[in-house]
Amino acid sequence: MTTVMVVDDHPIWRDAVARDLADDGFTVVATADGVATARGRAALVHPDVVVMDMSLSDGDGVRATAAVLEVSPGSRILVLSASGEREDVLQAVKAGATGYLVKSASKTELADAVRATAAGRAVFTPSLAGLVLGEYRRLARRSKSGQPALTERETEVLRHVAKGLTAKQIAARLSVSHRTVENHVQATFKKLQLSNRVELTRYAIEHGLDRDG
Amino acid sequence: MSQQHPDPATPLWRAAQVFRLLSVLYALGFQIAVNGDLARPGPAWALFAVLVGWSLAAAVAYLRGFGRRTGWVLAEFAVSIALLFSTRWVAGPAWVADNQSWPTTLWLANAVVSAAILRGPYAGMGAGLAMMGCYALEKGVLEINLGRSAGLVIVLAVGLAVGLAARTARRVQAELDRAAKLTAVAAERERLARQMHDGVIQVLALVARRGREIGGPTAELAELAAGQERALRRFAGTGQFGDPAPAGAELDLRALLDPSAGDRVLLSMPATAVPLPAEVATELAAAVRNALDNVVRHAGPDATAYVLVEDLEDEVTVSIRDDGVGIAPGRLQTARAEGRLGVEKSIVGRLAALSGSARLHSDDDGTEWELTVPRVGRR
Repeated sequence: MTTVMVVDDHPIWRDAVARDLADDGFTVVATADGVATARGRAALVHPDVVVMDMSLSDGDGVRATAAVLEVSPGSRILVLSASGEREDVLQAVKAGATGYLVKSASKTELADAVRATAAGRAVFTPSLAGLVLGEYRRLARRSKSGQPALTERETEVLRHVAKGLTAKQIAARLSVSHRTVENHVQATFKKLQLSNRVELTRYAIEHGLDRDG
Repeated sequence: MSQQHPDPATPLWRAAQVFRLLSVLYALGFQIAVNGDLARPGPAWALFAVLVGWSLAAAVAYLRGFGRRTGWVLAEFAVSIALLFSTRWVAGPAWVADNQSWPTTLWLANAVVSAAILRGPYAGMGAGLAMMGCYALEKGVLEINLGRSAGLVIVLAVGLAVGLAARTARRVQAELDRAAKLTAVAAERERLARQMHDGVIQVLALVARRGREIGGPTAELAELAAGQERALRRFAGTGQFGDPAPAGAELDLRALLDPSAGDRVLLSMPATAVPLPAEVATELAAAVRNALDNVVRHAGPDATAYVLVEDLEDEVTVSIRDDGVGIAPGRLQTARAEGRLGVEKSIVGRLAALSGSARLHSDDDGTEWELTVPRVGRR
């Protein structure tokens, strides 16, 4: 049984999503409207999947994603957000979210996405692929050593996803397996998250935050 | 300090204490000069000590702020009058007739200045009149000839001028406060509007979602709600991405393409701005819209268009792909021969004018345009 926590500051939307997920056989163990409540409840119930909005009552979904993963590292975060919040979504992915769905997605799409997230698969929509691709290109422009870079194959896969091709179609085009395509996609995620952690660590060392006092 | 704001008259209070110090020094000089002529020189020194002590206390009280009230100013006035009325006893009647009062008129003006700063020009002039009335009473003569004794005029003028300055300072402060309050109200209203917009957007999104699930006539309502949701989101989100405005005549290509997003048009773009010279961005966006129009017309009603924007530094690429029926091999040539490819011509023409390229590709998975424009002279 997959346990889910719904984080959204809008009560009508939050309850509707929670009800839909319950109808689809998920156990909604908690809801929260902000960063603090999400963190507190996640620490208690350790949900398998957190459905996360980006604009919250006391902050944004990026901070909430980081806060939830801090107290419940086993949880997986699925961002469910409006289409306009690109920068936030990218930051949430860098903070550890593994999927992104726009709020206009249907009930079935949401259920599929939660199921995939629970199973440890990345939920990769075309717009998220566009964001991740754009971020790698931005990092490449800064051309500092030690920045994560995409392999040619990964770039190819991301571009196909961003153009709306399904994993099956991409697999057929590249003559690889469906699973390989997903692995490539996950790899691009992992590298970004890792580089984010490396960046944070470097920042901490440069600013002396690693020492006490 | 008892007030919420710093007292706008604070600079005046400070200046008045400088005046007080100078007046005490003047009084000291006068005291040394005339002491030998006084009837009771010993008590005169004792009273002078009272004058200095009170001056010190008043200076501290006004500088720190706790003395800036009617009670303190009245007390100052009382002490001044008391010292003034001691003149005859200390100095003797003959001395009084030929001299100014013993604590000196200059020092007495301190009480007038304090009243003027605290309560404005009328209080200042009133205090001046009262002070000079007491002076006349002690002297036993009302000096009407203003040509010989300018004391009354000077004290009145000081009360008026200082009082006006204090009133102006307070009015300016009040106006600033009012302006700040208006700004705060406007900001609060904007915040409430944003919250309300967000609420309406959420409800519209929900109506759209539920409506589509129910289907039938409700689906029509769903489409209406979805359209309004997008419109309101665009309106509320104007400039919300927080990217710095590109320098010069550059536009963010993403901002030009955003309005095209919809249920059947999905945009994939970087999280940061894609700046292009304004005319290039506008033409490129127009070409993208041409391609999207084409999707609606030829790919079938259920087709979805995917737009991918890529910033490759020395060039910008926009791909427009649809998952519709595609163009069967040979169809392109037939269409071209029939002159039905006006849109294609328009897209290719626009891109050629930007020294870019436009390629059309079609297969089983749909049709794809790839538009590329070079960035000239950047970094």
